[in-house]
Amino acid sequence: MRRVVLPLFLIIFFLTLQTTLLTSFPIQRIRPDIVLILTLYLGLSYPPIPGGILAFFMGYLMDLFSGNALGLYTLSRPLIFYIAQIFKDRFYLEGFLSQFLFVSLSGLVEGLLLLILLNGLNPNPLGNLYPLLFTVLLPQSFSTGLITPILFSLLHKGSFFLSNPKRMGIKERG
Amino acid sequence: MRIRGFFLYRRYTLPAFIIIILFSALILMSLRVKQRRGVEFLDALVIEVCSPFQKASTFVIKTIHGAFREYLFLVHLGRENATLKQRIAELQKENRQMKEMAIANERLQKLLQFREKISSSVIGAEVIGQDPSSWFKSVTVNKGEKDGVRKGMAVISPEGVIGQILKTAPDYATVLLITDYNSAIDSIVQRTRAKAIVEGKGENRCQLKYLLRSDEVIVGDIVVTSGLGGNFPKGLMVGEIRKVDKKGHGIFQYAELVPSVDLTKLEEVLIITESSSVLQEEKGKKTKRAK
Repeated sequence: MRRVVLPLFLIIFFLTLQTTLLTSFPIQRIRPDIVLILTLYLGLSYPPIPGGILAFFMGYLMDLFSGNALGLYTLSRPLIFYIAQIFKDRFYLEGFLSQFLFVSLSGLVEGLLLLILLNGLNPNPLGNLYPLLFTVLLPQSFSTGLITPILFSLLHKGSFFLSNPKRMGIKERG
Repeated sequence: MRIRGFFLYRRYTLPAFIIIILFSALILMSLRVKQRRGVEFLDALVIEVCSPFQKASTFVIKTIHGAFREYLFLVHLGRENATLKQRIAELQKENRQMKEMAIANERLQKLLQFREKISSSVIGAEVIGQDPSSWFKSVTVNKGEKDGVRKGMAVISPEGVIGQILKTAPDYATVLLITDYNSAIDSIVQRTRAKAIVEGKGENRCQLKYLLRSDEVIVGDIVVTSGLGGNFPKGLMVGEIRKVDKKGHGIFQYAELVPSVDLTKLEEVLIITESSSVLQEEKGKKTKRAK
């Protein structure tokens, strides 16, 4: 129970920060996606079933509070979560560079997925979305990747509240 | 046999769960695409639970931001005269409060004047949160179904059009901004009366779609609402044309406009609960019934 209820509050807290504090940044393009970082952290440290439910809820919340009328995050966030689950035992994700690369690439992958879905589901092609790959998606993924080691470390320190999550990456196997 | 069945069950639990989760997401998506709405009760419930956190956070951020700004100002004054620091701090605190009140007063007065000017029923709302994603453009406001807010209602400010209501909860609502890709508003170019649809382009930009090549449009032209959609009253300012391109082929030309409202600095908005055009229609129906 603690494994689900406490992270729920953490999710709401992260979403609140993302929709209020982070939006007051003067440059919107570099606003990091801290909810994505939380999704990936859960993907690396949580069991697949409760973690999957939490990722689903995170996506659902993102959809509710965004102008996204299609519900794309409800699909993309569990997918990202399970991608993280697949990679967690295959890569060493303790260092700054590996965490930065992992989260930045996940952000890019999610962005591309959203773009494909947006174009596929809209009756009219949204050609003007493609420039955003360079003007919004790249800077945002970069900034998200940059703050990941700090957030991962904070989440790791506070993780005893949630449960006793396993160590990440290769260390898990000893 | 039972043991074997149990192991089979354990073996397929996780893949089955993943399939169920992704399938649920697809069903939700399909609901939203087909009916343009999700699970309304659940949506409203979750918005109701989460929005108070946003409201509290916005309040704290505004307070800290104001105090920090004043603190920086005070550092310089403190260097000049240490004995007067305390007094100045008090005066500055008072001054800050008064300034904030004066600014808020000015804003609200402007809203009130505008509200009196337009012949529609409107309610004021405060912005309590922004869109969590960079792909979409929306804001959350502190008025909802209990205040008469419904999906599709127009959201405006004295400077012009802001967007329309996308989702509602009893006490909160999400506003789809005009710069979002999903937004479309029937409009006309004020000078030439050329008809077009204003669609969001993200990044504080919109584009004019279905603007005929034969229509004369120049940079600096003002675009206003046509009133044809039913939600927006006629003549509200949408934005100013910044780019016109006739180079491509086809019967339409391309034009880009900047919204008249700075959508990155929204604090208060007005929601039109009953536009004049709707009122006219209803009046018409009542007259017919009377006949």
